[in-house]
Amino acid sequence: MLVLSRQRDESIMIGDNIVVTIVDIRGDKVRLGINAPSEIPVHRQEVYEAIQRENLRAARLEPGDTEGLGRLADRAAAQGPKKPTDGPRR
Amino acid sequence: MRINTSRFGRIDIDAADIISFPSGLPGLEGCREWALLADATNDALGWLQSTTQGDIALAVVSPRRFVPDYQVRIPRSELTPLAIADLRQAQVVVIVGSNGRTLTLNLKAPIVINLEARTGRQVVASGELPMQYELPCATPGLKKSA
Repeated sequence: MLVLSRQRDESIMIGDNIVVTIVDIRGDKVRLGINAPSEIPVHRQEVYEAIQRENLRAARLEPGDTEGLGRLADRAAAQGPKKPTDGPRR
Repeated sequence: MRINTSRFGRIDIDAADIISFPSGLPGLEGCREWALLADATNDALGWLQSTTQGDIALAVVSPRRFVPDYQVRIPRSELTPLAIADLRQAQVVVIVGSNGRTLTLNLKAPIVINLEARTGRQVVASGELPMQYELPCATPGLKKSA
């Protein structure tokens, strides 16, 4: 791993269009500012890994596993008057 | 185009109905193109089916239908790649999963789809939201293998 020392308000560049700036340092917490092209997703690592795990788990679901969902949707629909505003459907 | 799927058999998908996810989905980075299918029996449920990997599909629902007070706030930077200024121009769905006991909804990382441009992205919503919001319905024996 490349290790660089930086002070507050200093930056590093990754490639020619990603800039990571040390915005603030307080105790054991560092605040980073990240400038990257919008097509490059930036995530906290633990959040990204949790989404990965969750997606892989969700990808194991089969149509038969979702039976309970229909009854639940019917019940929610019957419980007016707070009608949820659903997005357009295909 | 015709694809063979493990869940729905052989299906025909109109090229115009393909939704592209330029950044992929975390964990499923290889799948960039998906089709949104309606479930055969459950009108509350849709399936995002990978058009390149027939065995990969994600169950999705409109979150408000199950969690009426779900307020999703998404940083503008997450929406920029979709070329939408605000969420009213988009369809927001959440992925249905299972924690082994109940079905769950990933409220923290919804999928935002620009229906006109047919592009989508899984985003990280602001605030404290669960990735496994438990629905009050049990999962019948979930298969262990993919």
